[in-house]
Amino acid sequence: MAEPGRLEVKAVSKSYSAPGRARVDALVNASFNVEPGAFVTLVGPSGCGKSTLLRLILGLDKDYDGDILLHGERIAGTSLSRGIVFQDHRLLPWMTLEQNIGLALTNSTLSPEQQRRTIQSHIELVGLQGFEKAYPHELSGGMAQRGAIARGLVGQPEILLLDEPLGALDALTRVRLQEELLRIWRAEGVTMILVTHDVDEAIFLSDTVIVMNANPGRIVKQVKVDLPPGPRDRVSTEFAALKREILVAMGEVVSHAAPQAVEA
Amino acid sequence: MNTLTQTLPSTAPASEASSFGTKLQQWLAPSRAIGFLLPAGVLLLWQTAASLAWIDPVFLPAPIKVVEAFFKMLTEQKLLWDFTISLALVSQGFLYGAFAALVLGVAAGLSKRFEQFLSPTFDTIRHIPGIAWFPLIVLWLGLGAPAKILVIAKTVFFPVFLNTLQGIRSVDKSYIELAEVMTLTRWQLVRKIILPAATPTIMVSLRYAAGLAWALVVVAEGLSGLEGLGFLIFRAQGLLLTDQLLVCMVIIGLVGFGIDRTMYLLQRRVLRWKQGFEG
Repeated sequence: MAEPGRLEVKAVSKSYSAPGRARVDALVNASFNVEPGAFVTLVGPSGCGKSTLLRLILGLDKDYDGDILLHGERIAGTSLSRGIVFQDHRLLPWMTLEQNIGLALTNSTLSPEQQRRTIQSHIELVGLQGFEKAYPHELSGGMAQRGAIARGLVGQPEILLLDEPLGALDALTRVRLQEELLRIWRAEGVTMILVTHDVDEAIFLSDTVIVMNANPGRIVKQVKVDLPPGPRDRVSTEFAALKREILVAMGEVVSHAAPQAVEA
Repeated sequence: MNTLTQTLPSTAPASEASSFGTKLQQWLAPSRAIGFLLPAGVLLLWQTAASLAWIDPVFLPAPIKVVEAFFKMLTEQKLLWDFTISLALVSQGFLYGAFAALVLGVAAGLSKRFEQFLSPTFDTIRHIPGIAWFPLIVLWLGLGAPAKILVIAKTVFFPVFLNTLQGIRSVDKSYIELAEVMTLTRWQLVRKIILPAATPTIMVSLRYAAGLAWALVVVAEGLSGLEGLGFLIFRAQGLLLTDQLLVCMVIIGLVGFGIDRTMYLLQRRVLRWKQGFEG
């Protein structure tokens, strides 16, 4: 794996303008840092610019104000050092699972034998052994998303970006995959940046939650998740307090009843 | 981990391995028999019409007479030769036309400028039917095979060209984005994403064009030359050999059916990754 670097987002703004329509500020003056190996979640209502921010970090959109630095260098275009899992699994229907995962290695420097081995080990990492030759239509939604996670990780990126990867799944599969994601994060030691609108998911998974809000899209709060080590109890008092704090910051809950919780 | 409890649906790739025997069995299964009801009914009506002499036998010979004519044409005349001639014409015309259409269609699909360069000319030529081109082409190339091959190739060209272009243009944008994330080169993008994504559209047009080509060969042979099924059919009309005429018609229909089924199976094979509504 490439040496994980520190990601710095410095005063990043992004607006869209179309002729004859008002300018839309998708993101205004967003700043935060992601330490190597961290699990950071961007959470917020739709239109808060969280996906925009992820696309900028990915390098799909190079036209923005401010700086996004990785290893101290401004991100210029996509790179194999940043993997992505989209909300739709986006596996290519004409490729088998292993071909889909292998697509991420098309331009890697590994030998064919190394590629074959790393593809197989990532299929095992996400628990899809036995489905190497299956086409995407033969996989369930959860399995396809596991495949997409394997594809995101197979190039051994320093950062894995996850754009609401569990958003389209049913509640049960979703909870299971959250636990899987944590296991994979610990096993691979990769930096993860997750975008979600699910506050529970954000608290369950990450060590820092970046709360965003819309109109204009902006960061309103950074919350450190200081829950006791070990599996996080989704119904503990501390969990609920954090959830309240985040919902208040998003403006979803009126703050009068909010007890003060940990703040970053 | 929940994958252990999940199994592949029955459409697993394993079914690919089924032998020719089982395929034949599937094909002849009772559920397929429904497709033979209508032809059997027509045959029965034909036989009745002939037996009861509803129509003068000169214009409608009995089915058995037609079968006799078939064997006579096969043994005493050179039906097989004419059949081969027609099939060779269609195959060549189809191959040339489809090949040119795929090459130019992909090029036009990838380059907006190239499409703009071609489209006014092509959209005009396209509307002049193959048969309208034929007299001029015969003046240039003579009565032989090249003129017929050219006119068939023209007929095959346009549906395949337009569908290739359309297939490429309708590739999902999110796949292009994926290619960018995977840092694919332009050529890798074309080979691994654009062409496979366009294949379903292209396959449909190839199947359609193959049918057109076979229909056209009969007309082209009827209009010029002294061989082929098309020639036989017009000669039979002139000589009032209705039985031979019917033999040719049945052969043309059956071959057309065969071509379509072959193209369908080819399509299924190429697109085995695709799962659609099965009715």
